[in-house]
Amino acid sequence: MSFIDAHNITKTFSGRNGAEATLAIADISLAIGENEFIALVGPSGCGKSTFMLMVAGLEKPTRGELTIDSRPVTGPDQQRAIVFQEFLLFPWKTVRGNIEFGPRLNGVKKSQYRLLSEELIRLVGLQGFEHCYPYELSGGMKQRVAIARALANKPRVLLMDEPFGALDAITRESMQIELQKIWQQARCTVLFITHSISEAIFLADRVVVMSSRPGSIKKDVAIELERPRTREMFTSERFRHYERLLKECIWEEEQIPQACFA
Amino acid sequence: MKIAYRKFFSPLFFLLCWEGVTRAGMVESWFLPPPMEVFATLWAMIVSGEVPYHTAVSMGRAASGYLVAAAVGIGLGLLIAWSVLIEDFFDPLIELIRPLSTFALVPILFLWFGVGDTSKVIIIFKSCFFPILLNTIAGIKGVDRKLILAAQSLGANGRQLWLQVLIPSALPVIITGLRISTAMAMMSLVGVEMLSSDSGLGFLVIDAQRTFDTRRVFAGIIVLSAVGFSIDFAARIIQSKAVAWHTHTSLGGKYP
Repeated sequence: MSFIDAHNITKTFSGRNGAEATLAIADISLAIGENEFIALVGPSGCGKSTFMLMVAGLEKPTRGELTIDSRPVTGPDQQRAIVFQEFLLFPWKTVRGNIEFGPRLNGVKKSQYRLLSEELIRLVGLQGFEHCYPYELSGGMKQRVAIARALANKPRVLLMDEPFGALDAITRESMQIELQKIWQQARCTVLFITHSISEAIFLADRVVVMSSRPGSIKKDVAIELERPRTREMFTSERFRHYERLLKECIWEEEQIPQACFA
Repeated sequence: MKIAYRKFFSPLFFLLCWEGVTRAGMVESWFLPPPMEVFATLWAMIVSGEVPYHTAVSMGRAASGYLVAAAVGIGLGLLIAWSVLIEDFFDPLIELIRPLSTFALVPILFLWFGVGDTSKVIIIFKSCFFPILLNTIAGIKGVDRKLILAAQSLGANGRQLWLQVLIPSALPVIITGLRISTAMAMMSLVGVEMLSSDSGLGFLVIDAQRTFDTRRVFAGIIVLSAVGFSIDFAARIIQSKAVAWHTHTSLGGKYP
């Protein structure tokens, strides 16, 4: 039995005013091992985010079984943390206040969560910004805070929904390297949604390609590049091979809307 | 807080024109007295204790109506935002009473509660209540759904979600409602004091008019303007301190 086990997951969204229900996800089965880094790629609207919210316990599958560590997912849990593309920090809290939000809710003692937040601030490289408010930070820094906030609950699963999608290309690359480092220190299972194939290959142990709606798993590619991975690998023969393989697979899924020809 | 000196220009310009028009003898002084005379009258009224007394009476009425409106408005607003059932129950009633002119209720309130302070406080309550209520509802309902998901994934339960995410997040909008209502309180206060009263700033102005003492009328108006301005000024400072984070993320940051 794997750590995260999705078994024949199907999700339909009921239509408004008796409209037909849309099938968002069709029959996904996916097994993820503990401390594995999984990247999920696929066309927009294929149900990646919905699948992630189900793993988080914030959406319920219509059919199918979802277990984590052999226990069925029934609702949100501090063991599963999410990082969103939009950062979603609490704007009225400082960097430290944001990071300490989870442990404080869960009744951790002040002496302990203060120590924890200091450690996390160091881990994500935000020393000196503890007392800043989110509006004082750049996009990359905001996302570092969001990652630290997610890690503060010491989650066993870290869910990331296009976390670097709102960042510029250069910040994005350095965040990828940072994330690899953070993941190697924090040791947790990561489910990472992205639109960037090279980002997926660089970070993940396995890249899972989803088909367009209704979403299902089209390909599951193990990335055999040694860790820690470096920038140089981006141009290696092996890296390019994976890139070609995955791109071809996604191109098949690219559907040109019929309306374009009308 | 920095105050730009250029902000004093338009009121000073206005006063100068006023003084000029009256000095030139363009109008009779009982019709429009010169500002210097108005200020002299005002000073005498302050020294005699008249202005402090009426201001205190007015403020007492305004504060009672306002504070009750704030408590009930925020409380009911949170309940309505929380439950669709409660919303469906109250919404039609709210929408029927809200557009009604506050003063349409005056005859019936005078009939029920007499012309004393109770009626006045209820009138002020009515005019303050709806901006506070509607802003509270809008503030809570406007919270980003994904921010709630983020808080839930961090372990927030229902109560924590309300106290630590929804209410702080809605606070700028709620405070805006509270600030709008301070002006509403002042407006309805003066109106109702003019209708029937033997004290308060509204009474002071209408009573002076009845005896054609224009200087006292203007003196009363200046006090009302100063009081209204001071209250809003204080409200603005409280707002900028309470939700500093919001002032900095919105256009509001440009203003003191």
